[in-house]
Amino acid sequence: MSSSNSSPSAQSTSPQSPILSLWKAYTQNTSDRLKFIDTFLVFLMASGVIQFLYCVLVTNFPFNAFLAGFASTVGQFVLTASLRSQVNPENRSEFKEVSPERAFADFAIGSIVLHFFVFNFLG
Amino acid sequence: MWSFYTFILLIFGFVSVLDAKSSSGNSVLVILDPARQPDYSIFFNGLKEKGYDLTFRAPKDEAPVLIEDDIPSFAHVILFAPDSKHFGKDVTPQALVQLLSSQTNLLIALGQKQNLVTSLAPEFSLILPPPGSSLVSYFPERKEPPTVVPIDVPSSSKILSSSSSPVWFSGVPFALGNNPLVFPILSAPAEGFAADSEGSTADALFDAADKGGEGLWAGSQLAVAAGFQALGGARATWVGGVELFSDEFAKKEISKGVKSGNQQAAADLAAWTFQESLVLRIDSTTHHLVGTSVPKEHYTTNDVVEYVAQISRFNPSKDKWEPYSGLDDLQLEFTMLDPHIRTALPPVPGSPGKYAVTFRVPDRHGVFKFVVDYKRKGWTHLQSSTTVPVVPPRHDGYPRFLSAAWPYYAGAISTSLGFFLFSAIYLAGDPREGNLRGLRAKSTKAQ
Repeated sequence: MSSSNSSPSAQSTSPQSPILSLWKAYTQNTSDRLKFIDTFLVFLMASGVIQFLYCVLVTNFPFNAFLAGFASTVGQFVLTASLRSQVNPENRSEFKEVSPERAFADFAIGSIVLHFFVFNFLG
Repeated sequence: MWSFYTFILLIFGFVSVLDAKSSSGNSVLVILDPARQPDYSIFFNGLKEKGYDLTFRAPKDEAPVLIEDDIPSFAHVILFAPDSKHFGKDVTPQALVQLLSSQTNLLIALGQKQNLVTSLAPEFSLILPPPGSSLVSYFPERKEPPTVVPIDVPSSSKILSSSSSPVWFSGVPFALGNNPLVFPILSAPAEGFAADSEGSTADALFDAADKGGEGLWAGSQLAVAAGFQALGGARATWVGGVELFSDEFAKKEISKGVKSGNQQAAADLAAWTFQESLVLRIDSTTHHLVGTSVPKEHYTTNDVVEYVAQISRFNPSKDKWEPYSGLDDLQLEFTMLDPHIRTALPPVPGSPGKYAVTFRVPDRHGVFKFVVDYKRKGWTHLQSSTTVPVVPPRHDGYPRFLSAAWPYYAGAISTSLGFFLFSAIYLAGDPREGNLRGLRAKSTKAQ
């Protein structure tokens, strides 16, 4: 009875179930630190999309400013994504020789260099 | 003694007032048959009173020569020999054109016979009627023969005094070609036509026009006096009949008790020809950025520039150049091949002779010229050209930050701030999660 009860409920959620279960799995299984990194990634992606839409729909002038602004979001996204994969405990076997401290230092230095070039190119 | 000096001073003062001069010199050569010299005494005495040195020469004489060692000997030449067949060997059409191009003014009378004057006339774009014709008009009704015609002075004339009464004329009318330098000073009356002088009627004229295929020589499109302003500044005046200057016509009454305007018209024609009246010159031109007073070597695109020209007019009664603000159709062009800007150059109120305009340099770099090119019939041509390069802004002359790019600046700045914020929170560690060490411990536990 209980199994017959549970099966309709599973069927009723089945249209959304892949996305929902993905979301559920993500919220339950991901550490808060990784969620924080993901938040930053989402912010960077939104910022990049907004700049790209502005460039396409409004103006790409001055083009160097667009390149600088867009490249800063893309570069930061790449660096942050690398940080995320390196500090993710599940990738521990892949990055045996890279400690999380080392990963963050790489990330910070890479970001500082990136921002140095971005602000040079911006004006 | 004192009164004697005062008297001398008064005399000199009086002479200097009378001593009106041309802006280009006072020596005049008159080529005229000596036997006919007394016929024009009023005209010539008028010139002498104004201060001109008249030198008379018969058409066949060889001296004094017009041009000696390529330098014109006289400032003005009057050629009153319409009936002479032969001239001295230095009086040729080429010599007269050379005189005109070396700043010598010419006053030339045409006649009915063909000679060098009639062969020179087409060079000035005058189209003469067939030889032997003269201006005929039966209106208004008068006791004079139809070839002696009273002509009204146009009220709009700048050269002739418009207040003077009609002018007696007897001679050849001519049409004007499309040369822009030639213009009518005195037009033939609308009822007048050119015909053989011996008692021709209008019917004979129409027959002749049909046969000859040259059309009708009639109407006010014909001129009896025309001015020619050479590009070099010299002036030539062509008059259809030398009798216009004669004493006989000057004294002849238009109607009972009204003197003819011939004396005044002859003097006016001479005054214009000898560059006394309607003579202008550009004293100086300058240009500078608005707000400064020093001309720049070059300007940048979109600079706001002021151009100033100083213009004088010759005052013959004082023999002086005086600032003149009366031109209201002066224009300035800023050209690079084509005029990129053509704008009015108005007089500045309150400062005589000064014309100024402020304009924005076009958004185009290259070698530009400030051009003033003022050519009006009767007036001296004014020409001025100042070359000035226009350059694009220097690499640091552009605005650094543009409002259109604010989304990009905001994107870059927010990324940087986000990075710092992220790093700070990341390093501080999430209180619920523990610090980096905790994360590592957890990861090892998971393994």
